[in-house]
Amino acid sequence: MLSTHELSCQRGRQQLWSHLNLSIAPGQMAFIKGANGSGKSSLLRILAGLSSPYDGEIFWHGHNIRKCSDTYRSELLYIGHQTPLKHELSAIENLLSLTQLHGLHASLAEITKVLSIWELQGKTIGLATKQLSQGQKQRVSLAQLSLLKKSVWILDEPFNSLDAAGSKILSQHLEEHLLIHKKMVVITSHVHENAAQIATSLSQIEQLIQF
Amino acid sequence: MHTISSSAILLGIIRRDLTLALRRGSDTCGAIFFFILVVSLFPLALGSETKLLQQIAPGVIWVAALLAVMLSLSRLFNDDFQDGVLEQLALSKCPLELIVFAKTIAHWCYTGCVLLLLSPILALQFNLSSQSIEVLFLALLIGTPCLSSIGSIGAALTVGIKSSGALISLLILPLLIPVLILGTLAVDAVANDLPYWLYLYLLIAMSLLAGFFAPLASAAALRIVLD
Repeated sequence: MLSTHELSCQRGRQQLWSHLNLSIAPGQMAFIKGANGSGKSSLLRILAGLSSPYDGEIFWHGHNIRKCSDTYRSELLYIGHQTPLKHELSAIENLLSLTQLHGLHASLAEITKVLSIWELQGKTIGLATKQLSQGQKQRVSLAQLSLLKKSVWILDEPFNSLDAAGSKILSQHLEEHLLIHKKMVVITSHVHENAAQIATSLSQIEQLIQF
Repeated sequence: MHTISSSAILLGIIRRDLTLALRRGSDTCGAIFFFILVVSLFPLALGSETKLLQQIAPGVIWVAALLAVMLSLSRLFNDDFQDGVLEQLALSKCPLELIVFAKTIAHWCYTGCVLLLLSPILALQFNLSSQSIEVLFLALLIGTPCLSSIGSIGAALTVGIKSSGALISLLILPLLIPVLILGTLAVDAVANDLPYWLYLYLLIAMSLLAGFFAPLASAAALRIVLD
């Protein structure tokens, strides 16, 4: 259970949003919608514990995340609007070092398998990431979802630059994560149509937060 | 999939940074070539006055090493910041302080350590005695990790700033001057038959202090940048 209490966010002197009370139960997804610059990404960074809120608290299973940041971080996967990949390294090497950061070791076979789920195979996964297209990079970065098995996914515009096939794979992952594993998701998108791509069965467990 | 210890995470980061340094060879070599060129130009420009060369050698080599390290610092955290990896580092299971420490070690391996290994060969151009070269090598061995760790504070403070090179130099040069002075004094002491160990001990103390406190300061600066 991830919840916030009277969360406010300020950038410079401008108040972006305030008094946000959010509660995400297992199997629930919070879909955050808003115009550019409305503070969607700021909310996600705050929820991930990267930024500190102007006011208010965040609770993970009833404990303030500032006091249990180690446990919270071990359950969390945050993927920001950038793909956290090193251009000089291949997809496999990138995923290897990203999983290592979470204290896990993935074998080559596991990584190759996960990449093939995201329809990245053969030569592509051995190439330096700078040679991949934006959509392919996004797929490599999202492959962390299947690899790391975390409880809370915080995803900033994950549908960006994905094609129809890629969006479908992501939707399937979200569906499985929420419906089968009963885990939590916080997601942003500036176009709500993307939410429609997520199966209709999810619409009941989705909370829409509009800034 | 199995879990790994914190030390394995840190080793992974060091290995990743070294691989990256190798793959972007031109950038890494830039600082090293700069060092070789600056040090080699002095004997060419000053001619073969053995006495003078011997006198200026420690200073020239130390100044060149200092500037070369400074040149390579701006990319230490900036690259990770630009591509979003810094966020992942901050969310890692391992504390950011230790990660910064690991990155500093990697930075030393591909700059300080290379300079160190080149210095005895370059010192030959200055007609230094073998004992002076030995002490110069020792002083660099002890001093260059200190350059990397103090430098990491400057790099962390200037993350996200375009062309941060000059700013880094301004910020950390004053902090590095003691290292420079002690390093050159140690080599001068050998030439004058004075006990040089004193200076090396002081350098060791500085390196240990910097190695402990600099990652704390750098990690704090990085957290502010990410906030």
